[in-house]
Amino acid sequence: MDFTTFVKPSNGSGDANGGAQTLQFWKHVEYIENHGKQEDDYEYCMTEFLRMSGIYWGTTALDIMGQLDRLERKYIIEFVKRCQCPTTGGFAPCEGHDPHLLYTLSAVQILCTYDALEEIDCEAVVRFVVGLQQPDGSFFGDKWGEVDTRFSFCAVATLTLLQRMKQSIDVEKAVKFVLSCCNQTDGGFGSKPGAESHAGLIYCCVGFFSLTNRLHLLDVDKLGWWLCERQLPSGGLNGRPEKLPDVCYSWWVLASLTIMGRLHWISSEKLQQFILSCQDAETGGFSDRTGNMPDIFHTLFGIGGLSLLGHSGLKAINPTLCMPQYIIDRLGIEPQRLGRP
Amino acid sequence: MHGRVKVRTTEEERERKRKEQALKVRAYRAAMGRIQAKRAAGELDDEMLSLTVQILQRNPDVTTLWNIRRECVLEKLSKLSKEAEPQQPEPAGDQEQPEEKNEKEAAPQPEDRAQSVFRCELDLTEQCLMVNPKSYNAWHHRCWTLEQNPLADWQRELHLCNKYLKFDERNFHTWDYRRYVTEKAGVPAAQELDFCTEKIKVNFSNYSSWHHRSLLLPELYPNEQRDRPMSEEKLKQELEMVLTAAFTDPNDSSAWFYQRWLLGSGAQLDRAPKVAAFRLQSKGAVLALDKPTPDLGELNIELVAGEQKVTLSPWLPVDSGRTTWKCQLPFDYQKNSTYTLKLTDQELNLLPLPGTEDGAFYFAPPHAAASCSQELLSELKTQLQSCLDLLEYEPDSKWTLLTSALLMRAIDVSANHAKNLEHLGKLEKVDALREGYYKDLAARWTLELELAKWPQAPGFPRKFELADEVSLASLPYGQYLIIADELNMATKLREELGNRVPKTFSELKL
Repeated sequence: MDFTTFVKPSNGSGDANGGAQTLQFWKHVEYIENHGKQEDDYEYCMTEFLRMSGIYWGTTALDIMGQLDRLERKYIIEFVKRCQCPTTGGFAPCEGHDPHLLYTLSAVQILCTYDALEEIDCEAVVRFVVGLQQPDGSFFGDKWGEVDTRFSFCAVATLTLLQRMKQSIDVEKAVKFVLSCCNQTDGGFGSKPGAESHAGLIYCCVGFFSLTNRLHLLDVDKLGWWLCERQLPSGGLNGRPEKLPDVCYSWWVLASLTIMGRLHWISSEKLQQFILSCQDAETGGFSDRTGNMPDIFHTLFGIGGLSLLGHSGLKAINPTLCMPQYIIDRLGIEPQRLGRP
Repeated sequence: MHGRVKVRTTEEERERKRKEQALKVRAYRAAMGRIQAKRAAGELDDEMLSLTVQILQRNPDVTTLWNIRRECVLEKLSKLSKEAEPQQPEPAGDQEQPEEKNEKEAAPQPEDRAQSVFRCELDLTEQCLMVNPKSYNAWHHRCWTLEQNPLADWQRELHLCNKYLKFDERNFHTWDYRRYVTEKAGVPAAQELDFCTEKIKVNFSNYSSWHHRSLLLPELYPNEQRDRPMSEEKLKQELEMVLTAAFTDPNDSSAWFYQRWLLGSGAQLDRAPKVAAFRLQSKGAVLALDKPTPDLGELNIELVAGEQKVTLSPWLPVDSGRTTWKCQLPFDYQKNSTYTLKLTDQELNLLPLPGTEDGAFYFAPPHAAASCSQELLSELKTQLQSCLDLLEYEPDSKWTLLTSALLMRAIDVSANHAKNLEHLGKLEKVDALREGYYKDLAARWTLELELAKWPQAPGFPRKFELADEVSLASLPYGQYLIIADELNMATKLREELGNRVPKTFSELKL
């Protein structure tokens, strides 16, 4: 082969040049703006099964950057509306796919951002969510029976945004199930009872307790210690012990620590350096680790992480719902947060 | 998308890739279009199965395609069960019977055909897991398929777990699946523990194995008092094993996490709150609990003195953390009576408040360490010595510094306090990322000790005093101080803590 390849370092060691990077603000705006424009793009096409979440990641990141008007509001709302299943009330990731709790939350988040909940049948959404709760309090993701604490989070987050937490699901049972997924060893949570603790699922469970006003059930000292141990010398955070750092895990851990009032247990400065080192200076967007391919998912969690760390030029983000704080305020929602000891 | 390295390529290469991808997009769209048209027409047939295979083998995350396969499977099973329904026995002569048998051998029985339907799904999930061993969809489809099959071969699934854990011993999907399968297959916990021990021997740096172990041990070796995660005897063995592991690679965190759990209290998250402090006077009462409790309703708090019995209510929260509550119920306090505070699961005798004729109180400092048998104590001392020896050679070893402090606390909290603070101070430097954590931990350990000493201090419980040299980044256990009228601490500390200085009884103005 006669072409030359050049691989950027991908060892998670932070910025290879050692210099502090600055936020490539306009590159990221451009990256997100262009994301949905090439419909025949291979990556775009192959990820249609999560399109609704993709739109949530893009709109939220742009809104945090104060650039939401770069996307066509009307077009997006029409798309979301077309994805509501007339039978179940849940949302599919895109037309031709089946409804699922994951995309139902994304759809509701997008509509909240656009202040357009009146465009859909909210009662049907509530029925969909309520119908997925099981006798043990857990939630199926859809009618096919997968159980996961992610779905418990999606259920309460959706209902909270729709202001329908009361008189819908059995909150006590839902709490009991999530609590049964807590591990005695580290105070963390996995996807189901007995599953190993994992930062992504910890975020879902901590977020779940924040939304159900039950943060007192957490062993904050034990869990907070395990979470702050996720920070590696590069400043980035991993999702489990002895794993590589990742921008998205940085968000899961950072948001959980923030909700628990323990943000000061990690080095914010080092984390900020790590997140900035994961920017793609050419195309815009953030990747999971320094030198990797950017994507829309890590772009939201990069921007969101920087916002939580107080980076200038970004709107504040709510750590529980991963949405701009002004929208949460507009909805009059106050997810619980613990104070610093 | 995770772990995809950005590679620079030539224009020529990019063009080739673009063409290749354009073809893939076209093929994907054609297949999806055909699938959706067939689904709308209710054609859940073999063609549908092969169309979905093409896409799922490349991209197992397309949930909807798995849903369609499940619809196909259910359709096939329902047809097969109709075929299998007992038919009217044919009035056949003796000679005809052998011929009929032959026919049956030629066409598979509905049951065998059902098994081949299941096999097909299991094979596909295996192929998909080869491509992406972390595909939630593929794992779920495998579970779903097995749940449909009353003849599922769980031993085969157990072998599959063994195989996959050899490829990647940290894949949490495989471990979750293993727990699911061992339950279905009825594998005894003791046998699982052996498997786990083998895994750990192969590689100490395996948080997933240690986690699996932590689920099995409390079940196999329960601790009656519930103040430790497992029986003392087993705990001693585990401590030996984990220290060997930790010393093999002192920079690997897995074993150290496990060790800290072993040294911990084994407390359950959903245990009922305990009374930390209580003070009563004729104008009302204040109650502090050892953990946040947003609803006191279930505690049924009653005050008993001889024949006199009063239900204390309503309670109003004093702090946002909901550990401290006040009740402004006027009360006829009798200085000569002995008062008992009764809760659903606790009965506490109150002591008269010194220096006044109006008031009684209760105080129980936080538990810093569980009790320790002589055998366990000697093991802890041996381990501490090993850690201190290691620190001679590697004075900055983070995990050894932390663990030796935890061991010293388990051996004797108060005698080792100064030394422990020294270790935490050192950790703030060698592990600077977590400086804030170590500072808060030092504050917690200090307050635990101060609160344990408080009942012997002059002025207890109306005065709480922190010596000028006590340095704290935060003031945990603040609710324990609610029974004091006066908190004395250095002005500098008071300023640093700001609004985090806990409330006192006199500030409540009952």
